[in-house]
Amino acid sequence: MFSKEVEKVLLKVQKPGRYVGGELNSVIKNKDEVDVRFAFCFPDTYEIGMSHLGIKILYSLFNEKDYIWCERVFAPWIDMEEQMIENNIPLYALESGDPVKDFDFIGFTLQYEMSYTNVLNMLKLAGVPLLASERTELNNIVVGGGPCACNPEPIADFFDIFFLGDGEDVDLEVIDLYRECKKQGLSKKEFLIKASHIPGVYVPALYSFEYNEDGTIKSRTALEGAPETIEKRNCMDLNNTYYPDKFVVPFLDIVHDRAVVEVLRGCIRGCRFCQAGFIYRPFREKSVDTINNQCRTLCETTGYDEVSLASLSTSDHRQLFDILDTLHTWSEDEKVSASLPSLRVDNFSKELTDRISSVRKSGLTFAPEAGSQRMRDVINKNVTEEQLLRTVNIAFSNGWSKIKLYFMIGLPTETMEDVEAITKLGQTVVDAFYRNPDRPRGGKGVSVTVSAAAFVPKPFTPFQWFGQDTIEMFEEKQKHLKESNTSRKLDVNYHGAETSFLEAVFARGDRKLNKVLLEAANRGFRFDGWSDCFSFEGWMKIFEDLGIDPAFYANRNRSFEEILPWDHLDYKISKKFLIEECKKAYASCTTENCMEKCSNCGANCFKGGICVEKHKNMV
Amino acid sequence: MKNIRIWFKKTNTARYISHLDLSRCMARAIRKAHLPFWYTEGFNPHVFLTITMPLSLGYTGMRESMDVKLLDDDYPFEKIISGLNSGLPDDVQVFDISELVMKPSEVEFAEYQVELETEDSSALRKELEDFLSQPELLTEKKTKKGFKTIDIKPDFEGMKFDSSDSKLLKMNMILKSSNNGGINPRLFMDLYMKNKNIELFPNVIRLNCFDKNMREFV
Repeated sequence: MFSKEVEKVLLKVQKPGRYVGGELNSVIKNKDEVDVRFAFCFPDTYEIGMSHLGIKILYSLFNEKDYIWCERVFAPWIDMEEQMIENNIPLYALESGDPVKDFDFIGFTLQYEMSYTNVLNMLKLAGVPLLASERTELNNIVVGGGPCACNPEPIADFFDIFFLGDGEDVDLEVIDLYRECKKQGLSKKEFLIKASHIPGVYVPALYSFEYNEDGTIKSRTALEGAPETIEKRNCMDLNNTYYPDKFVVPFLDIVHDRAVVEVLRGCIRGCRFCQAGFIYRPFREKSVDTINNQCRTLCETTGYDEVSLASLSTSDHRQLFDILDTLHTWSEDEKVSASLPSLRVDNFSKELTDRISSVRKSGLTFAPEAGSQRMRDVINKNVTEEQLLRTVNIAFSNGWSKIKLYFMIGLPTETMEDVEAITKLGQTVVDAFYRNPDRPRGGKGVSVTVSAAAFVPKPFTPFQWFGQDTIEMFEEKQKHLKESNTSRKLDVNYHGAETSFLEAVFARGDRKLNKVLLEAANRGFRFDGWSDCFSFEGWMKIFEDLGIDPAFYANRNRSFEEILPWDHLDYKISKKFLIEECKKAYASCTTENCMEKCSNCGANCFKGGICVEKHKNMV
Repeated sequence: MKNIRIWFKKTNTARYISHLDLSRCMARAIRKAHLPFWYTEGFNPHVFLTITMPLSLGYTGMRESMDVKLLDDDYPFEKIISGLNSGLPDDVQVFDISELVMKPSEVEFAEYQVELETEDSSALRKELEDFLSQPELLTEKKTKKGFKTIDIKPDFEGMKFDSSDSKLLKMNMILKSSNNGGINPRLFMDLYMKNKNIELFPNVIRLNCFDKNMREFV
């Protein structure tokens, strides 16, 4: 629903369907009959936000409660933003059309650092004070969760609460506490202090930091009796964890327009660059029955003809073929197809592709991540060139002729030979095609695309101490990469180093960066993840004007002893384990995955998932 | 197998849904209701449906239609209506089903109501009637070959005003409208606004479609 004022501008913007709501399965309640109104904000466009699984789960979970009404809010694209400002239309929620500033909770999902300016811009458009300290009443409680909550220090001044880990339980506990505090007429401060004692709740205002002269952290103090460290929450039994039986079905063609069923959480692999691989431990699977029922229900309630089996690494589910065969017993009659979000180099097979009709002949994508075996050992991406060749040969023999390979450059210990090895590996795949007697004949032959992203070191990984390559180093490597390609069948491209540099600044930033983001908001920055809006010069100007050196955050090597900005956030991955992994990386030693051998990362304290199944003696 | 025509309203939020998005929305509702409609054969089967007269973005439609092929000749229409409505959003709702009598290409005219919120509908009516009484109403029309000046007076002079509601002026009109083009019901208001240099927010509702002999499209 939308107001008369909104209606007047809708025909002046692209895709007005983004701003009207009214979709199938969207939840409308009577605002006078609920105690808590929650504005679930996704700091990007409607098409991206509506594709995100987390918002779907929590939206349905909250709305199951008769005393909560959760609504959706997305960042208006710049044309709509302009109309809203010109016509004094505050940011509103899609279901009721009511202004966001009328809500008890304003929740953001923090998926990537480059969306921080959108978070602030949305608060600005809502007419809500940006700084938590300027919001003194018990309403407009700004909360955040998602992967970036594992180091939220650069945005700590703007938030009242961060949720660490799985949100299903902790979010409701905090909402219930708020409801109780509201009834008792308690202050916002009293509410926040009480909330800080709920496991998984981080109230940044209750922690203060002192810094050394060199800018590193000297000490951290917990105030008002808040716990010294904050533990992340995990839902251990996924078969009994809430999962929605319906999704809001958009009219617009969104990025992932299909039913999505999460089949597992966590990842067994332990790739050393991958934050998700550590902060979501331990590996927990849903049963075949649960997955099958959820797929069927969602297709029934939405009318979607495609269901995606989502997770960090779906082909690691130990009953994957069982799942696909069970789905197959009904999916063909219902004209539904199953798809996997990604494929692994080391367990790709004809048996698998035969079962996934949506793997079209158009192209296959794999992520070897690094070109040389030495480099892959450093990052613990345990795939070999032989496995890649076996996989692409299966693909070629079965009719594929387009392969896309994802890599990273700027990994620790990388040399120019490692960079060259990326193109070499691409060339090896091209050669494999022409050596394969069963390759598809006719057409244009093979097409291999090699794509190299600039590596961003992240908290809670063994590379959290590593100083990122400078932009100049990246550019030199990118140039070398491009020049080392001599084949017309091989297409080499790379992503911008400037965005990766800023990601590295904010990913491992501390509280001193809040003023940078505040200044960015004041200067009108938003949609920095979009090349149309991103201005690297603009960002550098802010750092310069505020006298903050971004290289301190992005390019500096930290010592193992340094107090890191996220050290008080306990994701149950022991620092000792991360240090060992870091040392092993520099020695090019690999680590077994969780299926093969427990590496004592610390996640076994949850007493569940793979930790229990594989290594009962470890728990 | 027989061809059937499904009649629906497109109102409120659904006004901002494009033709393509509406087709996908209908296809999902059909699949959700497990209706025995004909699907295209091939690697990627999809339900065969034709929206007969696509509606411009932002307009309300009170008697919209789409054609599908029903595989089971005896399947009750009421079941199709209830099945579809349970899978459609509130602002797209089916109200009737019929067998095809006319072809979509036979549509030549459409009836529209243009509504304007105002402080004083009689005064606005007078203004607009005066504007309409000019000998010519020349406006630029965008065509494939560029802009062309046309006189829209003949199209709009038969329009009927209703100012019985003092805060809402209604204008009813029948305009050329076919799959090969037609007259946009906003043209008159747009010209008026441009001339007076003011901004108004006309709400356009398509009420019905007709063939060349002004027989209701069925």
